[in-house]
Amino acid sequence: MSTAPAHETLGRPVNATGRPRGRSSPLGSRLSGLPWILPAIVLVIGLIYFPIGYLGYASTLNWNGFILSTPTSIGDANYAKMFGDPVFWNALWHTVFFYVITFSVQTFIGFTFAAVMHSRIRLGNLYKAIVFVPVVLAPATMAPVFRQIFDQFGQFNWLLSSIGLGSLTRPWLADPTTAMPVIMFITVWEWTGLTFVLYYAAMSQLSPEILEAARVDGAGNFRTLRSIVWPMCRGTTAALAVLGLIGALKTFDIPYLVTHGGPNHGTEFLGTYIYYTMAQGKHFGYAATLAIALLVLAVAGGVLLRISTSRSDKE
Amino acid sequence: MWGAKRPNSRRSASIGIVSVALLVASACSGSSSTAAPAATTAPGATAATTALTGDLTWWGWTPTADLATQMIAGFNKVYPNVKVTFVSKPIDSYDSVLGPAITSSKGPDVFNVAPGSLNGGVSQFAPGAIDMTPAITAALGSDWKTKVAPAGVDPMTVGGKLVGLQVGAVYSGWMWINQDIFDKYSLKAPTTLAEWKTVCSTLKTNGVGCFVQGAGQWAFDMDTFEAICENIAPDLYTQAAQGKVKWTDPRFAQAMANWKSLFDQGIMQDGAVGLQQYPDANNLFLSGKYAMVMMGSWYTSNTVKETMVNGMTAAGVTSPTPITIMPIPFPDLAGSGKTGTMFGDADYGLAVSAKSSQQEAAKAFAIWIATSQAGQQVVANTLNLIPALKGVGAQWDQINLVNPSKQLTALQAYQTTAVSSISQRLGDVSADLNTAFRDALIGMASGQKTADQALQGLQAVQDAAK
Amino acid sequence: MFDIHGRWSRLGLQLLATLMILPFLAPLVFGLQGSLGGLGLGNYAKVWNTGIVPTVFMNSAIISVCTIAIVYACTMLAAFGFSKLRIMGREVWFWAILAALTVPEAVILTPLFVVASNFDLYDELIAVILPLAALQVPFTILIARNFFDGVPNEIMEAARVDGANGLQVFWSIVLPLTRPITAAIIVFTLISSWNSYLLPMLMLTDQSKQVVTLLPSFFTSQYTNDQTGVLAAAVITAVPEVLVYLLFQKSFERGLSAGALK
Repeated sequence: MSTAPAHETLGRPVNATGRPRGRSSPLGSRLSGLPWILPAIVLVIGLIYFPIGYLGYASTLNWNGFILSTPTSIGDANYAKMFGDPVFWNALWHTVFFYVITFSVQTFIGFTFAAVMHSRIRLGNLYKAIVFVPVVLAPATMAPVFRQIFDQFGQFNWLLSSIGLGSLTRPWLADPTTAMPVIMFITVWEWTGLTFVLYYAAMSQLSPEILEAARVDGAGNFRTLRSIVWPMCRGTTAALAVLGLIGALKTFDIPYLVTHGGPNHGTEFLGTYIYYTMAQGKHFGYAATLAIALLVLAVAGGVLLRISTSRSDKE
Repeated sequence: MWGAKRPNSRRSASIGIVSVALLVASACSGSSSTAAPAATTAPGATAATTALTGDLTWWGWTPTADLATQMIAGFNKVYPNVKVTFVSKPIDSYDSVLGPAITSSKGPDVFNVAPGSLNGGVSQFAPGAIDMTPAITAALGSDWKTKVAPAGVDPMTVGGKLVGLQVGAVYSGWMWINQDIFDKYSLKAPTTLAEWKTVCSTLKTNGVGCFVQGAGQWAFDMDTFEAICENIAPDLYTQAAQGKVKWTDPRFAQAMANWKSLFDQGIMQDGAVGLQQYPDANNLFLSGKYAMVMMGSWYTSNTVKETMVNGMTAAGVTSPTPITIMPIPFPDLAGSGKTGTMFGDADYGLAVSAKSSQQEAAKAFAIWIATSQAGQQVVANTLNLIPALKGVGAQWDQINLVNPSKQLTALQAYQTTAVSSISQRLGDVSADLNTAFRDALIGMASGQKTADQALQGLQAVQDAAK
Repeated sequence: MFDIHGRWSRLGLQLLATLMILPFLAPLVFGLQGSLGGLGLGNYAKVWNTGIVPTVFMNSAIISVCTIAIVYACTMLAAFGFSKLRIMGREVWFWAILAALTVPEAVILTPLFVVASNFDLYDELIAVILPLAALQVPFTILIARNFFDGVPNEIMEAARVDGANGLQVFWSIVLPLTRPITAAIIVFTLISSWNSYLLPMLMLTDQSKQVVTLLPSFFTSQYTNDQTGVLAAAVITAVPEVLVYLLFQKSFERGLSAGALK
């Protein structure tokens, strides 16, 4: 279905939107729901799509981003530059790696914890609150704390030494090979609460009868979890996979605040690279180009994931 | 589906929806007002200065709120009816925030600018500022250029327009040591790499950190690197930044090797590239965990007892005993014998927004801070900056040093060295060169780049800029 | 979920749960500890003494409440429309809104500023509220639409037979059912609006319009960085959010179970 007719309607006075368009039954217009979604559409088109269009235009410029400075048009040179930019490809690779790991770990912990919390546990509400509080805190709030924890003299090294793993202590943020896992750890710390809450919610939808039936059939706890509960939470997993991918592509706060994308671009993501290019590198046009690439990737990734999960749903 | 049946009253539904949204929107646009200034007239004020009224906003990433308050209080003694509000903006996002603001009449009247291309770079913001030449000529006469430090003239000028008035300058190239630790282990300030290594090994045996650098924050790596270059050939670095010498010159290869040796020879603390100079290295030094740090003239303010105590408290030390810190020349790594030089430029200048509706008051403020004896004395006495106006120096008898018997003479000599520097610190470094330095210096430090690769990266940027 | 018999297995499960939350708890404890370094509780006094605590809390509260109101209104209407009404190109619109989820805040700041100055909204709270709402609406529509999908059509059919129009059905029948999802929308929107940092910093210049996330930056400047003050400010900033979450915890969970993501 094309968007053109709907778009045309958008510009008219609101009361005109419901005019029957011939194809519809005499009772109902195909457009009858439009006024209901109109406020959201206006908000999103006006404030998100306009900026996207603007970025598309800016991506053809050589411009420092200051409104009073005159830009020069350079066509697709920024795009050519992007495809040859090792930092860009590096950031992409980091994103993929980061997404696969954080998503798996979050799903595992979130799912397990949700199952545990649905069992009879003392202090359950307190535990749930503790896991969810990181979601609520601004990343900027916790960044200095994590920098300290993973420092040479930080609590993590102290913990390692006190359990006899002193040989493993090191400044964790100083080496790209250890800084990236730290970034992932912080991300998992921050977002598992959300994963947990969603699984917890999905599990409370399951009817006790099914679980009971499984138990009568002699299935153990883990068997039940794996073959009954997990498949029934597939919708949640699929949605989290899409949200996680989008989140991974947008990753900005944590690497920016904790490692500044370093050392040596070792924790560089598209988000940090775009911000750095724009704010410190003063190449707004190039930053816009990277932003457009990010949007394309995010939309494509989201659609692909959505299609693949809905296909597996049907099977 | 339920929706297939057409609602009877679509029109009223739509109106309802839209009006809900509008109602919410209009309820949310609040407004606010600011209070009038409390005026106290003092000697020094004339009829003209008293008559000037205004309510100014001043934006900057520096100075600290305390210092800004002192500066404004001094200004208000002469201009009692101009209220100034200082708004501290985070350094990392200063440019993003300032850009939009000064294209609007609601932005600041006065804002900080800096030489070079880091935050608040003059070349970036020149189009949003007025030319201060007439104002400074009126204040200091047509020979004003001879009355202020040169760091505030050319580096603050873009295309003939004096964008900002320099408030003061910072210099780097020397290090700071914790004299208490050095005394405790009877150590002498190192002057060569060998001595430096001995100092470090003594300290390490005693469980004290030696030299700390937040090498992840490369602006300070650039200071250390420039200090190394100065040791090889004074002014070499500045000449390369200006394009007069190539970065691929063999002397820079030596500088890179020296830079790398700091990491290989156990002088830099482990994991240096994972730390930031601020807050990490600063806090480690102030809390006494490390004995040496690469900081510039701005660190002089830490010789003031109160500032040191505050700094240590902020670093997490409970009821601290202030430590005695001393400036020392950068050791002679190259064995050239050329040590002790410094480099620096304007820390920040005050620019007046072209969109400001109170330019007279704004100019009066910038002029008073940057060119008046009294204004510059306030700047000098905090020891944070070296004042822009020639002939103004810190009034040491009014400054409560941590350890005057040890520090006073050393600090006076330090400041004399600083103001006689000829090389620049950031003034000639473009945004791209800055980025290239990050990749070069951190790449070298972590062993992922060779000296050749690092230097070629720098030269490539320099070539592209032509 | 786990079918536990016997004291030991119950203890084991309790132990497992405790072990799992420890890594989540520890950083929170370290943060609190850090905020008490140096001056101890004096750090909190230091934050209060900046004199702007009431102002920034007020502004953040206004921004959050207004963002929540706009997000709530837009989300409820749109989710109902997407779920229960016929709309030309419905899925296209839905995906167009969802695609907006992918837009990072940092990259649209400059274009947003252009919009704001064209409408003369620069330095008004609304210039922060509207973009925040626009960035939040895609996610809340996603969860609310799932919620509405779970509301049986029959309930509404019955009302329609009684002669109620769409708005009346929505108002008197559907909205009362949505209380659980409302809690979820409030909590999520509060998190994003209360924590917003870049937008307020860019759009609000007047000192009297600053927000809570700017509090920590009072303790950092170029050559100083008071970590204890930063952490104390961060703790103060986080308290209201944690309280709201605890307050809504029950209905928040219920709302997500009803809507969830499927």
